[in-house]
Amino acid sequence: MRGPMNWIDERLQISPLLRAFVDRKLPGNIGWAHTLGSATILFLIVQIATGIVLTLSYVPSPSAAYESVLYIDQTPFGALVRGVHHWSASVLVVLVALHALRVFVWASYRYPRELTWVVGALLFFVVLGFAFTGYLLPWDQKAYWATVVGTNIAGSVPFFGRQMVELLRGGPELGAVTLARFYGIHVWLLPALLVPLVAFHFFAVVRQGIAASPRRQPLVTAIPGESRRDAYQREYAAEKAAGRPFWHALMKDAIFSLVLLGGVFALTLVLGAPLEPKANPNATGYAPRPEWYFLSLFQLLWYVKGPFESLLIFGMFVIGGLVLTLVPFIDRSRERLPQRRPLAMALAGVVVVGVVGLTVIGAISSPPGVAIVPPADGMTAQQLEGLKVFNAEGCSSCHQIRGIGGTSGPDLSRAGHRWAEDAIRTQILTPKNNEMPAFDGLTPQQLDDLVVFLISMK
Amino acid sequence: MTEQGGSEELSRRTLFLRALTGIGAAFAAAVAIPVIGFGSAPFWRSKAPISLLSHAVTPALRSSGWTSAGNLDDFKVGEPRFVSLSREVVDGWVKGQEQVACYVLRVGDAEAIAYDHHCTHLGCPLAWSGGAKRFLCPCHGGAFDAAGKVVAGPPPRPMLTYATKIESGEIMVGSLEVGA
Repeated sequence: MRGPMNWIDERLQISPLLRAFVDRKLPGNIGWAHTLGSATILFLIVQIATGIVLTLSYVPSPSAAYESVLYIDQTPFGALVRGVHHWSASVLVVLVALHALRVFVWASYRYPRELTWVVGALLFFVVLGFAFTGYLLPWDQKAYWATVVGTNIAGSVPFFGRQMVELLRGGPELGAVTLARFYGIHVWLLPALLVPLVAFHFFAVVRQGIAASPRRQPLVTAIPGESRRDAYQREYAAEKAAGRPFWHALMKDAIFSLVLLGGVFALTLVLGAPLEPKANPNATGYAPRPEWYFLSLFQLLWYVKGPFESLLIFGMFVIGGLVLTLVPFIDRSRERLPQRRPLAMALAGVVVVGVVGLTVIGAISSPPGVAIVPPADGMTAQQLEGLKVFNAEGCSSCHQIRGIGGTSGPDLSRAGHRWAEDAIRTQILTPKNNEMPAFDGLTPQQLDDLVVFLISMK
Repeated sequence: MTEQGGSEELSRRTLFLRALTGIGAAFAAAVAIPVIGFGSAPFWRSKAPISLLSHAVTPALRSSGWTSAGNLDDFKVGEPRFVSLSREVVDGWVKGQEQVACYVLRVGDAEAIAYDHHCTHLGCPLAWSGGAKRFLCPCHGGAFDAAGKVVAGPPPRPMLTYATKIESGEIMVGSLEVGA
């Protein structure tokens, strides 16, 4: 191998560059938390490679997309490639989010790395754009309905909401034009944004060097009146003097990425590449749910209500996006230790707890309309009959019992404690409020059973 | 650049660079205008009204013409039924017959309503619950009564309806009525 490599190197003169890259000194305390960025780049390469071969058999048309995906799954390595592409997408979203969180917690976006952060924030949006446009492509039920919902959420833009929806869908309806459009955005437009942005981000990281982790005791003592630039350069020089060459860190990067890739293969082999039945625009009873990374937003719509819901959603998007992008210009202090930045840490904590919490609630809550309340131990025969009526009449679509059911009506888990038997009976037959329909078609026996069941809820 | 003849060279150089900037700008515009124009055509070609608050756009507006949903006498008054109609559909470059579903409700001796089955909140598919006598949305708890009126949840407006007429005892379903 040495012969041909030397021959090429004599023509390209590249080995001094590579040597300088691998041997350059990094700051002292570079650890496992710094492997997130390199893993992101590696998984982007995995996505590009698997994505390119998927296009060899994929057809972006409603009449053929689903069938072409089935064909891919039957081709040797096809299911594996599609599975790796699917699960790597999830891994990428997590990696990019954790990478941003790590940089935020250690305030590595400070001078002179502000622009690196801004481009990183744009890359975060590009990755989410890939995720959003990618899962329409298989044209299965999840794909179709999540895109109906997703494009309608994009319509929360004030004044031009519908125009935004039509821009995304390629017209008022979701159909052939939408699929072609999402495909074009996914495989051409977003990569055309991704590649130069990653190149910029990577160049900036290598050119400036990786930011040192914040230290309780800085390596150099501050000189009063020293400019920000001079202070930074003195400290970074000291950090590099205390550090080790890049190839030490590269080993950690490689181990972390290898473990993640192993995880992706394991997920693919165990769970496969998910595919629901073919998209059916005429479905009823199908409960649309987005991929987990958009579930928090989907769940949030339970709590944002009222005529101005769309404006609130839009406001949150714009303010959230702007704050995220402009972090280095909003937070101007020189402090980098997280324990001395309580406000920033509180903000990050609220966002993390909010997103994780909403995702968990969204994942475990049962969709209304299809919920069935299971019997509990120690119920009498009549109470069980009442529960049957409760489930059969669709009560659980609006009312919760022990955490199962909809939330548009009152929780009935303690109905017997809150209301008297007569009040429950009257409410079922002739509801006081017009939100609840009158269930006056029940037989007297059914009504008795239902009431007995409800007052047993204490 | 040499010293002698400098000013003439310099002015020529300036002229060249300015001309190149102009040519570059013209080149960029010649490519950018059609590229951005084509890519964003659905936005500026949209016939949708401009309003502060957006409304969900249903995915089934594209069907047109009149289609029979069946005999009026086969429908029970007050009990919506899910029917799948074979309709003339234009979907981009795809033209042809396609199944388009809607809920048909008989409201009297000679009247029927056909509902689009998408929730007006975000477009999720509504399902009629006979027990609760409600159209229920599986996404965010939206509920509509048999008249299509919002009774619970976040939907901003009543269910959309198709134009209907009764012809020799048959319920005919027309285009979606897109009101304000």
